[in-house]
Amino acid sequence: MTLLANPRVQLALRLLLGAFFVYASLDKIASPAGFARIVYQWQVAGPVPSNLVAATLPWVELLAGLLLIVGVWRREAALVIALLLVVFLGAAASVLARGIDVQNCGCVSVAKEATLSAWPPAWTRGVGWFLVVRNLLMLAGALAIAFVAPLPLVVTSKDTVLQAPQASGSGPA
Amino acid sequence: MLPFFDMPLDWKRFILILAGGVSLGFAWNAFSGRGIVLGQSVLAQAGDELLKAPDAKALLDKGALFLDARPRDFWRMSRIPGSLSLPEEGFDKAFPEVEERLRRASMIVVYCSGYGCEASHIVARKLREKGFAPAILDEGLPAWQDAQLPLDTEPRP
Repeated sequence: MTLLANPRVQLALRLLLGAFFVYASLDKIASPAGFARIVYQWQVAGPVPSNLVAATLPWVELLAGLLLIVGVWRREAALVIALLLVVFLGAAASVLARGIDVQNCGCVSVAKEATLSAWPPAWTRGVGWFLVVRNLLMLAGALAIAFVAPLPLVVTSKDTVLQAPQASGSGPA
Repeated sequence: MLPFFDMPLDWKRFILILAGGVSLGFAWNAFSGRGIVLGQSVLAQAGDELLKAPDAKALLDKGALFLDARPRDFWRMSRIPGSLSLPEEGFDKAFPEVEERLRRASMIVVYCSGYGCEASHIVARKLREKGFAPAILDEGLPAWQDAQLPLDTEPRP
């Protein structure tokens, strides 16, 4: 578990999560109407709330993703990402429980053609167990960034080792 | 044991990120030229006439012709009583089958499976191009069922 406290692991988590959310936001920002259709297809909200989600959610993803990448307000940005992932997981559970067939979850691409192309495979695009597992893993990563203090690296002549913080486990904010 | 931060999260920053993203989203929607009309279904376009389920039922009682824009297999399983199948996919092939009835109908209402279903809107637009003036059942079959209105569930060949 101390792996999560490794600053290199935390850096990798930040960059991966940040890059994913920035990338995921771009197509939605470029096509709000396409994203609104997909949100509506989830049948979690009516047309007007779906529109509000479609107009605003991608920008929250973009902003939080960029902050994670540059490392500014990273704990709070990670918590925003975690909040989004909890909402996505709740919505996915609702869709799965009701047996609704959402062929394109709108997670990354909102193009209609995305449901017709052979790549990426259909099971990675729809609302299914792949999405749930992926979001759970990202949620764990986001919570680690928000709450686990990276241990300082101590560089010796031969090796680099992790060292427990000197003062009662406090890490950089 | 994992070393957790001693310092609490800064909730002002958390709120600022959320509020900033939401504000940017509204600004982009208003000024980018790519925005959507927030107050109506994104599926609706200029010229679309949307009917609530009780109003559609009143038209059905007055003899309106209902068209089911879902794939034909769905229509075979269940449908609004008296409706004909005119699926969005295969519209051109199916249209001649129903054209005569359409010409005789005084009112036409198109429906599909609701929510993100765009088929009724697409079929209605294609019909408008052919000179008809169909209305669209807002929210489709789920709204019809939510209003406790009748369905014909007798299987069709």
